[in-house]
Amino acid sequence: MTDISVEKAGKPDAAESAAPTAWRAHGTARRSTHTLRLRVSAALTAVTVLAVLLVPPLVQLDQQAVDLAAKLQPPSWSHPFGTDDVGRDLLLRCVYGLKVSLLVGVVAALTATVIGTVVGATAGALGGWADRLVMRLVDTLSSVPHLLLGIFIVAMFRPGVWPVVISVALTHWLSTARIVRAEVLSLRSRPYIDAAVSGGASRWRVTVRHLLPGVLPQAGLAAVLMVPHAMWHESALSFLGLGLPTHTASLGTLIQGARGSLLAGQWWPTLFPGLFLIIPTLAVAGLAGVWRERINPRRRSELML
Amino acid sequence: MLELHAVTAGYDRRAPVVRDASLTVAPGEAVGLLGPSGCGKSTLARVAALLHRPDSGTVVLDGTPVHRYRHRAPRDRRTAVGVVFQQPRLSADPRLRLTDLIAEPLRATGRRAAAPARVAELAQTVGLTADLLTRRPHEVSDGQLQRACLARALVLRPRWLICDEMTAMLDASTTAALVRVVEDYRTSTGAGLLAVGHDRTLLNRWCDRTVHWDTVTSTATKVLT
Amino acid sequence: MTERSPVLSVRGLSVRFLLPGGRRIAAVTDAHFDVAPGECLALIGESGCGKSVLASALLGLLPANARTAGHARLGDLDLLTSDERTLARTVRGRRIGLIPQSPAAHLTPVRTIRSQLQETVAQLTGVRGRAALRTAAEQAAARAEFPPDHLDRHPHELSGGLAQRAATALALVGEAPLLLADEPTTGLDRDLVDRTVDELRRHVDADRALLMITHDLAAAERIADRVAVMYAGRIVELTAADTFFGAPGPRHPYSRGLLEALPDRSFTPIPGLPPELGDLPDGCAFAARCDRATDACTALPPFTDSVACHHPVPAPTPEDIRA
Repeated sequence: MTDISVEKAGKPDAAESAAPTAWRAHGTARRSTHTLRLRVSAALTAVTVLAVLLVPPLVQLDQQAVDLAAKLQPPSWSHPFGTDDVGRDLLLRCVYGLKVSLLVGVVAALTATVIGTVVGATAGALGGWADRLVMRLVDTLSSVPHLLLGIFIVAMFRPGVWPVVISVALTHWLSTARIVRAEVLSLRSRPYIDAAVSGGASRWRVTVRHLLPGVLPQAGLAAVLMVPHAMWHESALSFLGLGLPTHTASLGTLIQGARGSLLAGQWWPTLFPGLFLIIPTLAVAGLAGVWRERINPRRRSELML
Repeated sequence: MLELHAVTAGYDRRAPVVRDASLTVAPGEAVGLLGPSGCGKSTLARVAALLHRPDSGTVVLDGTPVHRYRHRAPRDRRTAVGVVFQQPRLSADPRLRLTDLIAEPLRATGRRAAAPARVAELAQTVGLTADLLTRRPHEVSDGQLQRACLARALVLRPRWLICDEMTAMLDASTTAALVRVVEDYRTSTGAGLLAVGHDRTLLNRWCDRTVHWDTVTSTATKVLT
Repeated sequence: MTERSPVLSVRGLSVRFLLPGGRRIAAVTDAHFDVAPGECLALIGESGCGKSVLASALLGLLPANARTAGHARLGDLDLLTSDERTLARTVRGRRIGLIPQSPAAHLTPVRTIRSQLQETVAQLTGVRGRAALRTAAEQAAARAEFPPDHLDRHPHELSGGLAQRAATALALVGEAPLLLADEPTTGLDRDLVDRTVDELRRHVDADRALLMITHDLAAAERIADRVAVMYAGRIVELTAADTFFGAPGPRHPYSRGLLEALPDRSFTPIPGLPPELGDLPDGCAFAARCDRATDACTALPPFTDSVACHHPVPAPTPEDIRA
């Protein structure tokens, strides 16, 4: 405004610039809950995976060992989770069950994600009638309740692990295909795709080099979130008696087998497999949440000046 | 010649963004296309760069009418036109380092071996340091990223250059620097330029002639080109 | 003219970003300036010079890895030490009105301008009751010269200029004494830039203080009373706008280079690139690009007499001014 104020504003206050600089942090609260969630989720996931990988080869105990004298024992020191109706140790059964369920979950989720990504990316990249055709097919399949469709697929095979994997995979790629297609469509209209086309890139090169890498974080996130979902489906199918054979321990067969004893007041054969289903689910969801924030472009650009 | 005859284009046939636009750029000529924002001049620029199929009208590139656009256009036709867009952030694949960003057209057209030398040469031309070339788009400023985008547009030595609001997001010094790079390129190669923008002062200073959007799209002046 | 106490008083404001691996980005260093009521200070500089970070610091919108030092006093409140609650409840909207870079993105797309204005009025003022809110919203629109017959439209039905007025109307609702405009003219046509800037000027003339951050020198020339030039995170020149854009012109070589780069002047770029904010030289950050650089430039130039440079273009003597 005036010359006086110019002068005043211009000259640094000698006393202030001489003092040592005290740096203040901002927004730390958000970050600490963020890291807490990350740590708890990571720890739970690690424990789950380690238990599944290490316990069976290390302890060398027979999960199928029947001990009719010790049937339906409540939790105790020798059987921390109690025993089932033929006296098998439930802790051991739960770990083996988790292993089978996790395996089914991971393989089914990966398969479904690959199918979904390929279908979604193809539809999005081609556009036009190919896109319309594929997406109408996806809509049609989505209109059938997917548990029902899953039961139908399982019923065509003899009970076992692979029918369950196939059933879950074939019914779960639809949402991934939708996500990937939407993402591809939004990326496709970016100027950088125009620039690639103008630079002589073929349709294949644009898809593989510019579209797919942009979509993979989303697809990966969908895959991770689908693992617990697929585990739940395995459990549901097994619970209905259509999934794994009853002697194969999986979380679903365990819960199914415990149905009778629950009514008789024996809570442990249901509770512990249930917890084994819920805890990894929450842990994976927590990790996925952190991941989602990581791939959020707003966070990425925080450092931009 | 880069000729646009009675081009009508848009994203919805019932409501075209560009109606009946005609414009000609001669080899070695710099034409400024001046128009308010949202008037459709970017769409016309995309048509001229063979990136968008017009609903009607013809584009004639170096004497041959264009029938195919985007991927369907023969590779040597679409790479004859280099494009620079307004927003460098959106025009750069966020995963590519600036080196790869500039080299991408060379790789896409099977000239991988020429990439290191050509990228180094162009980085020098547009004023990017070796350190900046190893970074990804989010680690550089808008001005630095736009320099890389200009280098990418020049990497295949196009005969035509289309700058769509290239400097709208940039400060005065970077603007002057990028315009100088374009002009040096044109002087040495004789390339033609279509510079689209809304800044009259800039386009008048930059280009041989400046046409206003209204005269481009009105039928009365169609013969003028 | 008598000196009035400034609305915003920034002293020694610095912002650092801590990056993984112990890197520190010196986004803003030791900024000093005041903005008085009825005054517009334009903060200019190239992209990446730290001017937007400065705006974020004033609004308390820095990311978690930022560290600040210094003071930014808005009346009795220090914006840099206030907690988020205070900033959210008493500062943003009420004491600082933010005029956004892209008004179309700033407005909620699915609601009419009227409903957004009414909501903001209800939030920021004591006005209650349907009829009273309606009147207050219409008054707010009128203050920004937003046409009343467009109030029931959605943002996408507005032209760029009207969207800008709607955003300005929202910024003005809280009667904030300080307006902060971050690149309000980016991507607008020259005519629209002029109109936007003239409207902002009207609000300055209504005794508000305006801090406008921009790289558009023409817009700055049209509106500003004073100009602060930022280079590599530091304010290198702070001077009256009429001498900066007119005669005798800026004194810092960087400011001169920036003006000379304009298409209606010599249209020559400043050679080289600005230094990395994570790796600033010890001395003058501009020395590497400066044709007046000497050995003295290895030391940091102090900010004296409106400019931070060891060899500024001499200030005009009283004789020069008379001539």
